[in-house]
Amino acid sequence: MAVSRERFEQGMTYEQYKEQMTRNQERFAANERELMLAPADLAAFQSLPRPLHVLVIAEDWCGDVIDNLPILGRIAQESGKLDLRVFLRDQNLDLIDQYLKEGQFRSIPVFVFFDDAFNEIGRFIERTEVVTERRAQARRELYAQHPEFGSPETPISQLPEDVRVKLMEELAAQRNTTRAADSQETVRALREIVSGVPA
Amino acid sequence: MAQHLVKVSITYCSECGYEPQTLALAEALMKTCGRELSEIELIPWDEGSFDVTVDGELVHSMYREGSFPAHETVIAAVRRHRGEG
Repeated sequence: MAVSRERFEQGMTYEQYKEQMTRNQERFAANERELMLAPADLAAFQSLPRPLHVLVIAEDWCGDVIDNLPILGRIAQESGKLDLRVFLRDQNLDLIDQYLKEGQFRSIPVFVFFDDAFNEIGRFIERTEVVTERRAQARRELYAQHPEFGSPETPISQLPEDVRVKLMEELAAQRNTTRAADSQETVRALREIVSGVPA
Repeated sequence: MAQHLVKVSITYCSECGYEPQTLALAEALMKTCGRELSEIELIPWDEGSFDVTVDGELVHSMYREGSFPAHETVIAAVRRHRGEG
């Protein structure tokens, strides 16, 4: 089953999506505002011969959506070459079930790039492998530095509450530390998708 | 064989919105196991987790299994631990 123009146009615009968010608006806005978009990266989108349609599947509670959708939004706004339509995952299972991660997980965000005839050009799901591996490595290092956290395999429920709180704080701090590099990796991945568009 | 009351802990990703699955599992345990349980502990976490321990044994891990647990699997673990008490 493909995505038709009619189905695509049923989605919210990026601005409409932001207006209907019920949580995490401040984090979303900060990520949008603080993204450093290099001129060369922006130019890769500005030089597209024709605007592309980008189907977005998201939910406002998802951390990867809060990290990555503002990046796509900034690129769309500043390049003028991406036409975004946003769908809420849990109300649009017909869409998310076409774009399952590893064929089984309803991971978000999903960004699907289409040409004007709605042929798919490429897709981005959740986050890149580079970001996933960077987080895993940082997590291993964190556990090595803090024996009180046990091993990464230790069930959270077995940690005393004060240790749990400390671990949660350390993990959040770690994600803040790598956010800028993670954002640049997302920009790289999105740029790679559009690099295949014929002139 | 002596029997004891069993503690179940569910660690769920609150950022991912896994509350419905957490509450559904807790409800299934309450309705099916009732007085076999000493406690059902719900721990809001993040990182996409949905982990279930029964008396400290990790019987389901989202990271390991890649999915939510079948309720029957957790109920069977409760019954096993109760028998081992």
